[in-house]
Amino acid sequence: MDADTVSRLLDGDIRTMLAEVPFTPINRDTLEETRVNRYSQVTVELSDRVIRSTITVPGPEGSPDVALRVHRPADAVGVLPCIVWMHGGGLVLGNEEQDDPRFDRWCVRHNMMAVSVGYRLAPETPFPGPIEDCYAGLRHVTDHGGELGVDVDRVGIGGASAGGGLAAALAILARDRGGPAIASQLLIYPMIDDRQVTESSSWDVPIWPPSSNTFGWTSYLGDAKGTERVSSYAAAARAEDLSGLPPAIIVVGALDGFADENIDYARRLNHAGVPVEFHLYPGAPHGFDALLPRSAVARRAKADIGRWLDHHYGTHP
Amino acid sequence: MNVQVSALQSLSMDAASVTRLLDPDIRAALELFPFPPINADTLPIMRPALAAPGPELSDRVVRSVVHAPGAAGSPDVALHVHRPAGATGALPCLVWMHGGGLVMGVAGMDDARFDVWCTRHNMMAVSVEHRLAPETPFPGPVDDCYASLQYVVDHAEELGVDAGRIGVGGNSAGAGLAAALALMARDRRGPHVSSQLLIYPMIDDRQMTESSSWDVPIWPASSNTFGWTSYLGHAKGTDGVSPYAAPARATDLSGLPPTIIVVGGLDGFVDEDIDYARRLNNAGVPVEFHLYAGAPHGYDVMVPNSAPAVQLDLDVGRWLDRHYGTAK
Repeated sequence: MDADTVSRLLDGDIRTMLAEVPFTPINRDTLEETRVNRYSQVTVELSDRVIRSTITVPGPEGSPDVALRVHRPADAVGVLPCIVWMHGGGLVLGNEEQDDPRFDRWCVRHNMMAVSVGYRLAPETPFPGPIEDCYAGLRHVTDHGGELGVDVDRVGIGGASAGGGLAAALAILARDRGGPAIASQLLIYPMIDDRQVTESSSWDVPIWPPSSNTFGWTSYLGDAKGTERVSSYAAAARAEDLSGLPPAIIVVGALDGFADENIDYARRLNHAGVPVEFHLYPGAPHGFDALLPRSAVARRAKADIGRWLDHHYGTHP
Repeated sequence: MNVQVSALQSLSMDAASVTRLLDPDIRAALELFPFPPINADTLPIMRPALAAPGPELSDRVVRSVVHAPGAAGSPDVALHVHRPAGATGALPCLVWMHGGGLVMGVAGMDDARFDVWCTRHNMMAVSVEHRLAPETPFPGPVDDCYASLQYVVDHAEELGVDAGRIGVGGNSAGAGLAAALALMARDRRGPHVSSQLLIYPMIDDRQMTESSSWDVPIWPASSNTFGWTSYLGHAKGTDGVSPYAAPARATDLSGLPPTIIVVGGLDGFVDEDIDYARRLNNAGVPVEFHLYAGAPHGYDVMVPNSAPAVQLDLDVGRWLDRHYGTAK
C-alpha cells in the first residue's frame, strides 16, 4: 500500500489534519528534537477531580529508581482497581506524564486508579532495561497496594503503541515469573513485532512509518533485531505460548502498520483460550485517537475502550 | 500469516474449555435451550422450528412481499420488503440474506431485526427468500440473491429505494451469501453495492482453520460439514469450489465495498472471518472488524441481552448509522 492509496483511504478529517500538521519520521537526527518538542510539556489543562503525584520506587536489581505517576479520583474512598500504564513513543520517546489527560477522564469515569511508569528509553537503555522497569513498577503497585489505595486483586495493565507492546510483554513476563497476578491487559495499537515481516508493516503509512519502526526496534534491540535471539519479553509477537494470559482487548486502525501483527496476536490469544476482544477501525492510522480525539472514528474507539474499562475496572459511582 | 494448524494447538479447545470461556449469560441460556447439531435427521425438525412466527411486530414498519424473476430457468424469488411507516421519498436499502447454514431458515425470520433497524436508521430492508440446499445446491441460492439484488436496483423507484445506496448483508450462511454477492456484482460489473454487513459469515468450505475444528455450540464442525456438503456435494473442499460459493476462496478482494465483519471468539468461523477482514484490509477495502470474547455463533439472536450481544448491536448500529442513516 503506497502513500497515495493510504491517503485515499484515510478518514477525511484525519487526512486534513495530517496535511496541516505533518509528522516527522523518527530517526537519529530527529530524535532529540522530537523528545523536546513533542513530549516535554503537557498542554491540556487538567481538572481537580483527580489527584496526581509522582513517587519514586526501587528499580530492577542494579538499576536506578523508577518514577511512577499515580492518579486517583479526588473523592474516592477505600481501595480501587488500578491500571499500570506504559506510555507510547516507539520505545525511544515519551514520559510518564504524557497520559495525564487520559487519566483525568478515566479515573473519574471508571472510579479507578492509574499508575504510569517512567521506564527508561532506548537507545540509551536497550532491552531489557525498560521492560524490567515496568516489571518493577507493577511489582511495587501489587506489593504496596494498601498504602497506595489499590485493590491488589484488580490490578490490570495497559498501554498504547510501544507502551501496548511493553504491556503485552509484561503480561508474558509476569506469567512466566509466577506473578504478580494481572487482571486484564488493554493493548492500544501495540508495537509487538520487531521482524517487520507482515504486509502492513511495509505500508507507507503516516505517524509511524516503517522507517520509524525500524529505528525504534533497532534502538531497543541493536543487532539482535529480527534475529532468532529476540525474546518474547521484548517483542510479544515472538511468544509461542500465549495460554494463561489475562483477558485482553486490542484496538487498532486499519491503516496502522501494526494492523497485521495486532490481528494475528488477537487470533493467537483467542486460540490459546484467552478471552480477547478486538476492534479494527477503517480509515484510521497509528495514534488516531490521540491525533484527532473528536473524529468520528476516535469516538468509536474510545467508546469501545470505555465499555471495556466499565467491565474490567468500574463505572462512576 | 497463513493460518497454521499444529497438533498441539488442535488439542486446545475442547467442549469443556469452550464452556468455561463462554459468557455466563450465554452459557446459562445454552444449558436451558441446547441447539442440536444439524444433520439429515434433525433438519426436518429444525426447518419448521426456524420458520415459526417470531415476536409480535410493531406498526412502525410496513411489510410487504414482492416477487423478483429468478435466474434463467429458475422460479421467482419472494422478497420481504420492510419500510418505515410514514417514510417519504427514496431510502437507502439493505438487501439481506437470512442465516441457517444454507439448509434452513426463511426470509421472515429477521422481521424483528428490521422492525428495529428500519426505524432506527430510516432505511429499507429487503430479505431474500433464496432456495435452500440440499434441494437446491450451488449456484441456485446465490443466483436467487443476485436476481433479487438486480430487481431492487431495477425497481428502485417503485420500491422507494435510493438506487445509489443499496448495500448487502446477512448473518451466518446469509453473510456468506452477501459476501459472494459482493464478489459477483464486482466481477459482472453489475449493480453498485455500497457496503457489506457480514455478521459471523460462513465463507470457507474447507474447514481447515484451527477454530473450524473446535467443539463449539450452536454450529459445531459437524453441522458445518453438513451445510457445506448439502450446498456443494462432492466438490466441497476441492480445488473446484467457486469464490461465489465460498468467498474465502477469492484470491482478489480489491474493489469490494466498505465492509463490517463481527464475530464471537468462540465461533468456529472466527479464524476464517479474521482472515477475511485482514485480507480485505490488505486489499485496500475499508473494513471494520469486531471480535467479542465469550461469544459463540448466533449468540446475539439467542441471548440478545448478554453483554457481548449488546456490544455487537452497538457496533453494528453505529455502522448502520454511517452507511444507512439515523432516525429522523
